[in-house]
Amino acid sequence: MGQSRKNNPSADSISVFKKESFSSHFKRYWQLYAMLTLPVIYFIIFKYVPMLGNVLAFRRYRPGLGPFGTEWVGFRYFEKFMGDRAFWQAFRNTLTISLLNLLINFPIPIIFAIMLNEVRHLRFKKLVQTVSYMPRFVSTVVVIAMMSEILSPSSGLLNMFLKNTFGMTPIYFMNEPQYFRLLYVLTDTWQFTGWTAIIYLAAITSISNDLFEAAKIDGASRFQQIRYVTIPSIMPTIMVMFILNVGRLLSLGFEKVLLMYTPSNSSVSDIIDTLVYRVGLANQNYSYATAIGLFSGIIGIILVTSSNYISRKTTGDSIY
Amino acid sequence: MVTTTKERTTIKRGAGSFLLDIIVYAVMIGSLLICLLPFLYMIALSFSDAKAITNNQVSFFPVGFNLGAYTQIFTYPNFFRAYGNTFIYTIFGTFISLMMTILFAYPLSKTFLKGQPFFMKMVIISMFFSGGLIPNFLIISNLQLTGTIWAMLLPFAINQFNLIILVNFFKTLPTEIEEAALIDGLNYFGILFRIVLPLSTASIATVGLYTAVFFWNDWFNSLLYLNSRQYPVMLYLRNIVNGTTMLGDAAGFGDKSTIGISLKSAVIVTSTLPIIMIYPFLQKYFVKGMTVGAVKG
Repeated sequence: MGQSRKNNPSADSISVFKKESFSSHFKRYWQLYAMLTLPVIYFIIFKYVPMLGNVLAFRRYRPGLGPFGTEWVGFRYFEKFMGDRAFWQAFRNTLTISLLNLLINFPIPIIFAIMLNEVRHLRFKKLVQTVSYMPRFVSTVVVIAMMSEILSPSSGLLNMFLKNTFGMTPIYFMNEPQYFRLLYVLTDTWQFTGWTAIIYLAAITSISNDLFEAAKIDGASRFQQIRYVTIPSIMPTIMVMFILNVGRLLSLGFEKVLLMYTPSNSSVSDIIDTLVYRVGLANQNYSYATAIGLFSGIIGIILVTSSNYISRKTTGDSIY
Repeated sequence: MVTTTKERTTIKRGAGSFLLDIIVYAVMIGSLLICLLPFLYMIALSFSDAKAITNNQVSFFPVGFNLGAYTQIFTYPNFFRAYGNTFIYTIFGTFISLMMTILFAYPLSKTFLKGQPFFMKMVIISMFFSGGLIPNFLIISNLQLTGTIWAMLLPFAINQFNLIILVNFFKTLPTEIEEAALIDGLNYFGILFRIVLPLSTASIATVGLYTAVFFWNDWFNSLLYLNSRQYPVMLYLRNIVNGTTMLGDAAGFGDKSTIGISLKSAVIVTSTLPIIMIYPFLQKYFVKGMTVGAVKG
């Protein structure tokens, strides 16, 4: 605003006018400003001060001398974790789980929504919807607790079934590293498929009925209607969701990983966030952990902006 | 559908359509079962006899039905306390959060307000770039909130996604009513509480549900900031599952694992039930609220 005023030939008169109008504007709407005062203070204290707290990545922390550290050390902590094998292992684990998750849990809600839309008994459709939302409301703790009971080697349902039908010896699924990723991804499928499908279902219901009518007149089967009407129509929604998902590649369900973490599966379950937690809060190596957290945060921003850019260039759909 | 001239295509369409129906209904029934069976299993275990569990007789129906697990867990002081803590955090947390979110969302929905774009940017930027675990932890500890209920209630008072859902909803309300109310001498606080909020029950119910679920399900923040007497039920459950906490003194040594299973299931059922009972009633609201909020993220 300030710059455009400078370029304006009658800048003085306008700025005087603006000043006056602002004070009268404020007088007229002071109650609206009063409303947002407390929330703005909240944002400063609990969102922006911690954001500034990221400077700790470049500063040495000394206990009792404030959350922002005491002296500048430059990129020392970045160099340190770049040379740390544990970091690169966590980085690889994060990417592997994320990509597997994206590969499986990105298309499933889309397919689920399309199929749900083909259900013609409205009451059955409603029932499926209601039930499919339920897992989203269940705490991660409960999800993992239920999974550990179902998969328990001594009394769990799955091992019981495998033993009775195939005569297999019980497998301790929660403890074996080779099952960790699959269990992570499948619990996500269980928890969020129905919920994520809401967005696609909303996109499908907003498709104009004329398109389906026209397709029917042209002799399109229901499969063809899905292929040539439904999917192209919800493509923008799919793209936007894809961008959001790519942006979140490095931020896995940290709490779930922490709950599923056991010393024996640590080789695959240690992700960036658990590393930050372990190094930072358990070992109180605050600056080092902040540096790792900041690094993955910045990569996250790069990911979301670049996938947004690519999507806008190639398909014209973007989130901003 | 009834065409006489294109008989072949109708038959083909009919067969394809039938096949599609079979696939669709099979998948839907499968999804229903996958969502429900884990809960049924938990319920069955929680009502079952310890012996039946040891002998692997329990699947989706209780064997040796009894209420023992439930009467037992409510005699454990630490479970009872944790359950109460969860209720306190959920009720107060949701109340504070809704107040703060509404107070911010209403002025943010007024695009004519000077500074509105600035405040909106402030919200958006904080969604993309956040403090991260360690800075947040250090700030909250430095504010001396650790070990107090405020560590649960204040830092999570506003969720930006919920805020944007409300802002977008408030923007859709007709301005004429507010203008009329202003002329009638009502101020903006009066308009917000007496006109806007009664018109926004759907969105507020949605946001309120999300917030309540967040507080109800939290365990990690409680682990970071609270003392063991202040732990909510989810953290109590997590500590049972990973073996940090024994269920209670009553669990004997001999058959600890099997008594444990039925008690653990009872904790799972009691700690999940309240939320599961509430959400179907709010379903029509949150589906609408979610699509309104998703328009512009």
